[in-house]
Amino acid sequence: ARRQSRFSSGVFTDRGSTPRGELVGTSCSRLSFGTWAGAHRIVSISLGKIYNSRVQRGGIKLHKNLLVSLVLRSARQVYLSDPCPGLYLAGHPGAPAPPQQPEESAAGPPAGWGEPPPPAGRAAWPEPEPQPERPAVPEVPRAGDSEPAATVTAAGDTLQGGEAEAPEAAWRRVEGPRETAVGGAGGPAEVSGVFPEGPEAARGPCGCPPGDEDNLSAAPRVDGCRAPRPAAAEPPASPPVCARKRGAGWVGGGPADCPAPGSTPLKKPRRNSEEQPGGAAAAAEEEQEEEMETGNVANLISIFGSSFSGLLRKSPGGGREEAEGEESGPEAAEPGQICCDKPVLRDINPWSTAIVAF
Amino acid sequence: MFADIISTVEFNHTGELLATGDKGGRVVIFQREPESKNAPHSQGEYDVYSTFQSHEPEFDYLKSLEIEEKINKIKWLPQQNAAHSLLSTNDKTIKLWKITERDKRPEGYNLKDEEGKLKDLSTVTSLQVPVLKPMDLMVEVSPRRVFANGHTYHINSISVNSDCETYMSADDLRINLWHLAITDRSFNIVDIKPANMEDLTEVITASEFHPHHCNLFVYSSSKGSLRLCDMRAAALCDKHSKLFEEPEDPSNRSFFSEIISSVSDVKFSHSGRYMLTRDYLTVKVWDLNMEARPIETYQVHDYLRSKLCSLYENDCIFDKFECAWNGSDSVIMTGAYNNFFRMFDRNTKRDVTLEASRESSKPRAVLKPRRVCVGGKRRRDDISVDSLDFTKKILHTAWHPAENIIAIAATNNLYIFQDKVNSDMH
Repeated sequence: ARRQSRFSSGVFTDRGSTPRGELVGTSCSRLSFGTWAGAHRIVSISLGKIYNSRVQRGGIKLHKNLLVSLVLRSARQVYLSDPCPGLYLAGHPGAPAPPQQPEESAAGPPAGWGEPPPPAGRAAWPEPEPQPERPAVPEVPRAGDSEPAATVTAAGDTLQGGEAEAPEAAWRRVEGPRETAVGGAGGPAEVSGVFPEGPEAARGPCGCPPGDEDNLSAAPRVDGCRAPRPAAAEPPASPPVCARKRGAGWVGGGPADCPAPGSTPLKKPRRNSEEQPGGAAAAAEEEQEEEMETGNVANLISIFGSSFSGLLRKSPGGGREEAEGEESGPEAAEPGQICCDKPVLRDINPWSTAIVAF
Repeated sequence: MFADIISTVEFNHTGELLATGDKGGRVVIFQREPESKNAPHSQGEYDVYSTFQSHEPEFDYLKSLEIEEKINKIKWLPQQNAAHSLLSTNDKTIKLWKITERDKRPEGYNLKDEEGKLKDLSTVTSLQVPVLKPMDLMVEVSPRRVFANGHTYHINSISVNSDCETYMSADDLRINLWHLAITDRSFNIVDIKPANMEDLTEVITASEFHPHHCNLFVYSSSKGSLRLCDMRAAALCDKHSKLFEEPEDPSNRSFFSEIISSVSDVKFSHSGRYMLTRDYLTVKVWDLNMEARPIETYQVHDYLRSKLCSLYENDCIFDKFECAWNGSDSVIMTGAYNNFFRMFDRNTKRDVTLEASRESSKPRAVLKPRRVCVGGKRRRDDISVDSLDFTKKILHTAWHPAENIIAIAATNNLYIFQDKVNSDMH
């Protein structure tokens, strides 16, 4: 290149202005950290970030996801320390969709949260039992290895704070007040009774936000996670999360949402394969595994699994099939959902199916 | 020419050249004009010297991942001959570029004419010796080495060793040592990847070789710690020689404590005696001889501490600001929001906030100090915290190695400020 003519001192190049980005202080600032509402909002936002990271150019950024998972963990502690989680509720199917404004949503919570959950819903939850944060359950490490966003995507999808329109709108329709509580984005199901009680790790990677099954198409790649029907409609007996450890927690339907332990070994050996320098193919493969192993994933599962377990699949198979049919389009791109319905795929590690899909 | 977001800025060792990398994978090099005797006031200003495409977007088919072409870092090699060399890296691949000048060309070939066409031999009646004639300067850039496939995770730093033969590259979990002449293998010197990724608690965020001791390097972590490693001690430097860590202040604990303590940049002082780190709200000076805590801490924009939730929501809390020393290690500089950047004088303990904007950078204009008001008395030109523009962030800054010349990257604009007067900064 030839030497170019002298530029004036100071500025080189200019590309016009970018939209002014001022602090979005309103919704966040109203919620203090110590409150359950604040923690919940942060969890919602975090899930959204993890979901988005999946589609970011350049691949998943390990550092950012790790930081987000640390925030999630902190927020979860507030969640768990809340003595009255039951104030959270099951959505009202008929409730009008809340406005999109985060502020309004933030203001909304009391309405939604004040309602006690349907007794039947609470009864559905298995007895709480102490769970180690990272149980030596096969799925957990495996889940940790795979695509982090898979679990969270569904939840995160609607937590964009207004960005994801379709899913959000869909969820709102279903969730009503519950979504307002989440702060505008239609957050994950607050089947609050679950979170505080349920063991996290035992739950499957079912971070699916609640939502009507009709709208599941908006919640991509939720392996094995189905949006819960509003509590009133759902048979209370089935816990939304797969209780790996407890097995007996399920009522009406086996641990469909959870990858069967047996399927773990399929992935595990590959995951733990030693990294070797050189050897393009081998390196590439190992790299592939490594790339998928963003470690916070497992943390996420343990964090969210219990609380955002809206997933459920407890509705009778017929209902689900319908929903599935509706989602056939998106599902082509989101095999995760297909998985949870086909018994065969149920046993496959949801992470791996997500990866395959990806 | 479309101007992309600048992603890195780096002066070379003499300060004569300034390289910038952008999100589009391009590198633009500026050269300082020699000071003209006729116009002593126009002390060397920087002009575009060369532009080239360093990295292109790639697609990793096995992982179905796109590899961004954004240039993460540029590091100059010490100049050893007439050519200049630099290393530029994106997330995965480091390249060594050689920049040469051509200002003469041979003329008077016997077999070819001026356009290079073969002459009709029957017309050649005598022989002549080709002579070199001056021509307009041409700057040629060529890739000399490509260091690929060394990293699984995203490269965040590169640093050339003082031995001028090796350099290191760091990603989230590993640091590799390369020889500048060897591209098909690298030596892994740090590996913090846990056997079980579930146990991952921190990642490497930046690393740098010591400016004088070729066996020492430092790397920073997302937990806010620094580890100084000695390559003579062991082949794999997982065990640090020194660990620099400041205990967390429990009164400041929040959901975001971990995020804001993550170190986004680490720089050795020119003397090699200190290290400068940047985390979200502060810059800290560490003495290599004291591991327990930094010797100096400067608040960059503490008024953001109460806004962390919003900053988390809009992702600003993840912004990675860089920091810089001046040539004499007496002043440190770092960027902030609203196109503000801050300088801290370590001796006088005075600090200043300046703005990189078109208005403030008319030639010869003196930068006016800015102030962010956080309630209380508000002066006329103060800006309130809530009206700060968080899309205007100054992440990348560089200071000339010897003079008071700074380069500030404000999104897609590059500002170069020179301090013509000996200010009280020194």
